[in-house]
Amino acid sequence: MGWEEKQVRGYPEFVQTAQRYHGRPIFALFCGDKDAAGRSWCPDCVTAEPVVRKELHNMPDESVFIYCLVGDRTYWKDPNNEFRKNLKLTGVPTLLKYGTPQKLVEEECFKAELVRMLFTED
Amino acid sequence: MPPPGQTQLPDWDGLKLRVRTLIASHRVMIFSKSYCPYCNKVKELFRSMHVEYYALELDVTPDGPSIQQVLAELTNQRTVPNVFVNGTHVGGCDSTYQAYQDGSLQKLLGDNKDAEPYDYDLIIIGGGSGGLACSKEAAALGKKVMVLDYVVPTPLGTSWGLGGTCVNVGCIPKKLMHQAALLGQALQDSRKYGWQYEEQVKHNWGVMVEAVQNYIGSLNWGYRVSLREKSVTYLNSYGEFIEPHKIKATNRKGQVTYHTAETFVLATGERPRYLGIPGDKEYCITSDDLFSLPYCPGKTLVVGASYVALECAGFLAGLGLDVTVMVRSILLRGFDQEMAERVGAHMETHGVKFIRKFVPVEQLEEGMPGRLKVIAKSTEGQEIFEEEYNTVLIAVGRDACTRNIGLETIGVKINEKNGKVPVNDEEQTNVPYVYAIGDILDGKLELTPVAIQAGKLLARRLYGGSSTKCDYINVPTTVFTPLEYGSCGLAEERAIEEYGKQNLEVYHSLFWPLEWTVPGRDNNTCYAKIICSKQDNNRVIGFHVLGPNAGEITQGFAAAIKCGLTKELLDETIGIHPTCGEVFTTMDITKSSGQDISQRGC
Repeated sequence: MGWEEKQVRGYPEFVQTAQRYHGRPIFALFCGDKDAAGRSWCPDCVTAEPVVRKELHNMPDESVFIYCLVGDRTYWKDPNNEFRKNLKLTGVPTLLKYGTPQKLVEEECFKAELVRMLFTED
Repeated sequence: MPPPGQTQLPDWDGLKLRVRTLIASHRVMIFSKSYCPYCNKVKELFRSMHVEYYALELDVTPDGPSIQQVLAELTNQRTVPNVFVNGTHVGGCDSTYQAYQDGSLQKLLGDNKDAEPYDYDLIIIGGGSGGLACSKEAAALGKKVMVLDYVVPTPLGTSWGLGGTCVNVGCIPKKLMHQAALLGQALQDSRKYGWQYEEQVKHNWGVMVEAVQNYIGSLNWGYRVSLREKSVTYLNSYGEFIEPHKIKATNRKGQVTYHTAETFVLATGERPRYLGIPGDKEYCITSDDLFSLPYCPGKTLVVGASYVALECAGFLAGLGLDVTVMVRSILLRGFDQEMAERVGAHMETHGVKFIRKFVPVEQLEEGMPGRLKVIAKSTEGQEIFEEEYNTVLIAVGRDACTRNIGLETIGVKINEKNGKVPVNDEEQTNVPYVYAIGDILDGKLELTPVAIQAGKLLARRLYGGSSTKCDYINVPTTVFTPLEYGSCGLAEERAIEEYGKQNLEVYHSLFWPLEWTVPGRDNNTCYAKIICSKQDNNRVIGFHVLGPNAGEITQGFAAAIKCGLTKELLDETIGIHPTCGEVFTTMDITKSSGQDISQRGC
């Protein structure tokens, strides 16, 4: 069946989507919001996104890739935002395998090898 | 006297010349006898190496016996086969095989133009504390490194990820569960400090295990990322030697790959030993299973008196479980026995039952947690002990994982009694290109930081031009029983043995942590002791502390001991008040004085 992508914005939408696909492998990339021209306020996210997208074909069959915009810079800097509190995210971009401790944070997302490892390991 | 069949005196000079010419003109020269099985063995060896040899069969050569005599003079060897490689005398069958196994034969064959380079500079078997530290250091020094890590599942099917014992089934989960138990105690104390709450506080095993395993999972992943970032090749495969410099790697699915390297490091660690009685593997668990047990162990029997046994028994009891410890003889073998007994006494005061001088002989079963009936026999008589438990945890020791990795194939010697690997002070085994670090070393301390240090320094010596060796002296340790025991240096018994009682001064003191006063916890239980060498300026050669945060206290003193701490320096050090550690700066009472050390006030 291959894999499919869901694009969401904000924490509640993320949780809803993740729950809907419970039982399938779920990978999520968290990035800062994009402006009208499509550029994120987070420069590292701009670098990471193409690297991650290039490796998506390595995900196991039936996988769901959730591309999640977390919010604007102010929201993200708040130490109590829901992503930090509930998902324990420490930075953007973060690429993770939902429901496991496996994740890549910030510059780790720039490395195709590591992204591939996250998508293909058990 | 001339050998039978010869009627003339041999032309010794001519024969010597002939022998020397033969040796010089053949890459491999074997003086042999056609019927000799050892000669055949040696020829087989060279054939298997695809190396051509020239054999002179002395039983069918004229002057054969005389040639044998010339060889005896030349090499001090009377027997055949007598093997020479590129002009160098190798010896007989045994010597030739030994040279093959340790690589020196290949070196002699030397003209390595056709020899293939090795796949890797370094292959490390074992991805635990030692193996990972060594691999990262070697990779940082620019070497091509492979790490193999494979966990053979326990009899009950438990397995775990990259990182070795410490991370998965040792120090890390142990300390976290020890902390869980300490928090339980803290909750009890909290009421005395004014905290008021209605609910009875209970412990949920599943919640704790999930949290602990989650953390361990993040460590496993962290190591994967770290190795990949440092370009260390990682294989989740079982490694075995099949030839010198070559291993076979088998993964979970049974797929096999082969890899060669110039140098190897053995870092395979240990696994818990079972009792060897009926039912032990089917119904009992070990520390390998405990930290991920999906159900609460319930009423538990811990068999053994090692620090693993006591630490596990300690935190299980601290979480509110009914715990019994079955001890064959002494507690904490190898540790200072006075301290060991104090550790045990504290556990007993706090509800852990001890059955001393018994060994289990039989078990029966049911469910999960089941009801296991344990029958034990006294070590001193005919007495039988019988009781039912939900869980039996075996902690009677650990065995090195050295028996099934092909060490015999390449000639690495192990201590047959305990399976451990003897090494020199550079961690080198008897086979020059094979090193070993960590728990598998014969006669060395089984501690994570020791393995890490040994691994790092080994890599630096191999590839970084360093000559620093690992210092195994005065390594501090801590046993995380409910009342923690930290130590550095010698146990009192060892000190007496080595120095003589009259040459020692032992200072000691009981102390009452301030935090224990308000809740009314045990007084005259925490204990501190230092052993000083009178002939060496009262140098502190043994440091022992029984009390909360013993590990934190001991770490600092270990550094002081490395600097040559003496009693005088200790006395000159001003204490931090109010702490437990300060007791060491005001110790006045010696054991020899016989004075009472019970505490009364501040």
